Amino acid sequence: MRRYACQRLALGVVQLALLAVLVFLLTSLLPGDAADVRNNEDAGAEQVAALREQLRLDRPPLERFTDWASGIVTGDLGTSLVSGGPVLDILTETVGTTLVLAAVTLAVVVPLAVTLGIACGLREGGLLDRSVTSVTLALNAVPDFVLALLLVTGLSLRLGWLPATWVGVGAADLLVRPGLLVLPVTVVAARMVCLLSRQVRAGMVTVLQAGYVAQARRLGVPRRTLLLRHVLPNAAVPGIQELARVGDNLVGGVLIVEAVFAIPGVATALVRAVEARDVPTVQGLALVVAAAALLFSLAADLFSHRLVPRTEVLR
Amino acid sequence: MKLMERPGARPGHGRIPLAVAPLGSVLVALPLGVAVLGPLFAESPAAGVSAPYATSDARYPLGTDGLGRDVLALLLHGGRSALGMALGAVAIAYLVGGLVGLLAASARRRWADELLIRPLDVLLPLPTLLVISVVAVGWRGSPLAIALAVAAVNVPPVARLVRGAALDAASSPVTEAMRLQGESRIRVQLDHIARSVITPVAADIGTRITLAVFLVGSANFLGLGLNPTAPDWAVSIARGREGLLLQPWAVLAPAAMLVMFTVGLNLLADRLLGRSRRTREDVR
Repeated sequence: MRRYACQRLALGVVQLALLAVLVFLLTSLLPGDAADVRNNEDAGAEQVAALREQLRLDRPPLERFTDWASGIVTGDLGTSLVSGGPVLDILTETVGTTLVLAAVTLAVVVPLAVTLGIACGLREGGLLDRSVTSVTLALNAVPDFVLALLLVTGLSLRLGWLPATWVGVGAADLLVRPGLLVLPVTVVAARMVCLLSRQVRAGMVTVLQAGYVAQARRLGVPRRTLLLRHVLPNAAVPGIQELARVGDNLVGGVLIVEAVFAIPGVATALVRAVEARDVPTVQGLALVVAAAALLFSLAADLFSHRLVPRTEVLR
Repeated sequence: MKLMERPGARPGHGRIPLAVAPLGSVLVALPLGVAVLGPLFAESPAAGVSAPYATSDARYPLGTDGLGRDVLALLLHGGRSALGMALGAVAIAYLVGGLVGLLAASARRRWADELLIRPLDVLLPLPTLLVISVVAVGWRGSPLAIALAVAAVNVPPVARLVRGAALDAASSPVTEAMRLQGESRIRVQLDHIARSVITPVAADIGTRITLAVFLVGSANFLGLGLNPTAPDWAVSIARGREGLLLQPWAVLAPAAMLVMFTVGLNLLADRLLGRSRRTREDVR
């Protein structure tokens, strides 16, 4: 276990380092640099040049990269071109809301998907299995942004049951008005539940037909023990591996949902920075979000290795 | 003993027993037809031909959007970019990823395999929409850049899938028998391995196109892709949401097109996946 954990951690560190290089490359090779962006069209060429010098953009890329990277290591993500303040401030302002959203979503998704997957897998081909499979298959094909708009139209605009936007909502209001979370969480969770429950179901079906389960049955192992001790840990592996991958859906879903409901989170800040071409902010926020996704997949891999050590997740 | 372990007693497979394939084909064909042939039937939508958010009448059967453009014309013109970018991205991803996967699987040296696949593994857990938003900082409004970004994030999973499927086929008894019979390496590779890779690949292409449509749509919806007045389904959905109650068709019509396409593709892919799983079980 320890050896595997070390290997996986090393891979994670390499991924993170590569990620930093990629983010920097992608954003610094852009046509036109920060000095062009910060100036309006009416600024003269010498003003742009002066600003370029002031922002220290005239140095070679490698030097700028080492500067940026060493800043990150010490917790300095750079300075926003739009607000002029540190990127770290933007992050701390917004990260709470996004974390709450992601955590609540995961807290909904995992138990729901596991229960559905087990229930369907136990009675493969039964009525419940067939109906859940059809629903997940159809729901999985509805894009997040379409689902969000349909739910907003139906539940908040027509029926008025749930709030349609978060405009004017502070972080403190979340605890008072949990209704705010219902629609965003539903939208992000919908496709994750579909993907996960299908994997758990497939895992259950495969394990239930395995030779060792038949043998345990013949030996008279009680059904409860059989399910809890022998079937579940093995059946959970494809589900957890899928969980490592649905981190992607989580980030994508959060980006969409924050835009639709005007949630003041990290994703909104990121999209706004992209629109304003605020390169340092984009670099910083993208790095943090991607690092979070990496951590998530790392945790899922370690957990599934703990459950079933023989599966080689790394390869 | 062997016979008893065969999972032959699996009727129904837990899949939807309806005539799924024709339904899926129809669902895919309709939006695709609209996308390909649509522009032939309508002039490109101009702003201000009518009042904004007008409800449907004889001249504009689906009403107009916030800029006073004919929603039907928008719908007929919006498919090319919405589906074209996604299809192009998947094609590029398969061209590059498929090649890397096949090369890795057929590499005679282990280090060559590792060298080809490991770097892609490192990129695998990157959030796709995040990559697109970073690309969009510099190349906003360029369909090519967005399509290339979608293709790039799809290369690692495609390469892994193709490599896995090819390795499965390469270690099968059929391959061994062919080799023992003295068939040439090329014949084994092309005749047997390439053919047995096709089914899992076909199923994967189905789900991958769905994902690409989502990604391209999400990028356009967020305003990271095409410019906000482009006649694209996802852009129309993003624009139309301001007048959702006044003129729901501006959102519902393009949304229906996208959903029909992805539901249909998922049905077809699911069916292919079920079939490939069944044949693999029969062989075993």
